[in-house]
Amino acid sequence: MAAASSLANQCCHLGQGQWSCVHCTLLFSFLKTFSATMTVVIGFEGSANKIGVGIIRDGEVLSNPRRTYITPPGQGFMPSDTARHHRAVILTVLKEALEQAGLKPADIDCVAYTKGPGMGAPLVTVALVARTVAQLWGKPLLGVNHCIGHIEMGRLITKANNPTVLYVSGGNTQVIAYSERRYRIFGETIDIAVGNCLDRFARVIKISNDPSPGYNIEQMAKKGSQYVELPYTVKGMDVSFSGILSYIEEAAHKMLSSDQCTAEDLCFSLQETVFSMLVEITERAMAHCGSQEVLIVGGVGCNLRLQEMMGVMCKERGAKLFATDERFCIDNGAMIAQAGWEMFKSGQVTELEDSWITQRYRTDEVEVTWRD
Amino acid sequence: MAASDGEKNHETGKLHFSLDVPFPSSREAVIALRSLSPDREPRKGGISKQLTVSGSTLSVRWSADEARILRVSVNSFLDHLSLVLETMEMFGPPVSQ
Repeated sequence: MAAASSLANQCCHLGQGQWSCVHCTLLFSFLKTFSATMTVVIGFEGSANKIGVGIIRDGEVLSNPRRTYITPPGQGFMPSDTARHHRAVILTVLKEALEQAGLKPADIDCVAYTKGPGMGAPLVTVALVARTVAQLWGKPLLGVNHCIGHIEMGRLITKANNPTVLYVSGGNTQVIAYSERRYRIFGETIDIAVGNCLDRFARVIKISNDPSPGYNIEQMAKKGSQYVELPYTVKGMDVSFSGILSYIEEAAHKMLSSDQCTAEDLCFSLQETVFSMLVEITERAMAHCGSQEVLIVGGVGCNLRLQEMMGVMCKERGAKLFATDERFCIDNGAMIAQAGWEMFKSGQVTELEDSWITQRYRTDEVEVTWRD
Repeated sequence: MAASDGEKNHETGKLHFSLDVPFPSSREAVIALRSLSPDREPRKGGISKQLTVSGSTLSVRWSADEARILRVSVNSFLDHLSLVLETMEMFGPPVSQ
């Protein structure tokens, strides 16, 4: 209504508090119709240890609450325990999302949820609630590819137009570029994700998982001073992290107990090594595509050291770096709402019988119907 | 909720288990059926599950090769069912069609 009053102030009565002239009546009815055509999508995400529900109205994040299942130091998150966590909090998070957005179920146009990829049991939990509320509220359902959610959220927040995307998280490591209706994977990990390598290293030396192992490694790395040489494994456009993890798992306790280096040195060395590899394959993809934009998405993407290293490379090439903070980098509901919004606007919906979840769902399987 | 035990059918050699879940109306029973049906059993073989609605009752019938596999499937189904029921309680009743 701010727009309405500023326009109305330039109208015949110049803001005298009369709203009954023909211009204003017309203006208000126009705005009413306009707001009725705005599209509101609610998104449910829970493919790993975060559970989030977000609401997007035409590019505006109305709410995006989230909970994280945090395990004790030295432990990872197992599918059934994670699903139990999600079951216990999902309805509270959903309620919060609606309350913070100030919306009623009737205001929502479409219910989006993560179809995959991810852990089976947590994915099912989230899909069950999405299917049930979609039916209760009489709204269409939309299954979203989690990776596409990250890309579309990154594009929305940073306004990057056609970037080379580095998608780095606990479950995925991919370099992606858009071409001909697909997000095409130019390079990826051939074994474990970079975030998985960092998380598992954190478990070996018992770094806390609160708020996340990656965040704590990043803070410790700032205090590291000695670089410990680790294997550097770039294979053309692809990367490999499992060998680095085995090496550091093997070396860590020996080096730490003999005071050859500190835990901080290991954090520093591991970050420098794996991030250099990521910057290298991103630069190669940019050169290949002639791209002048890089967008970093995924949980590891909020690491400031990675952003700094990528920034140096971009500066040398005269390219622009786009990144987001932990609210949107780390798994969240709004990213599923945003990808769902794009899909819904381009005419897609998912029938209930086709709404099964899938643990494997490659980024390039999705036909991008919402971009030229 | 009524359940019959996993008694072994001597002709097929398979274990059977059935469960009836009452709902306030057939509308809600159908919503639960459609929420719970899409995902296939994670295990490839050795178990099958059939969901049907009759009136306002959702019925589930399992057929399995081993008690161990049956237990896992029934357990996870009950977890899923209670989540659907809680969702209906908090965000229902369904809007009029």
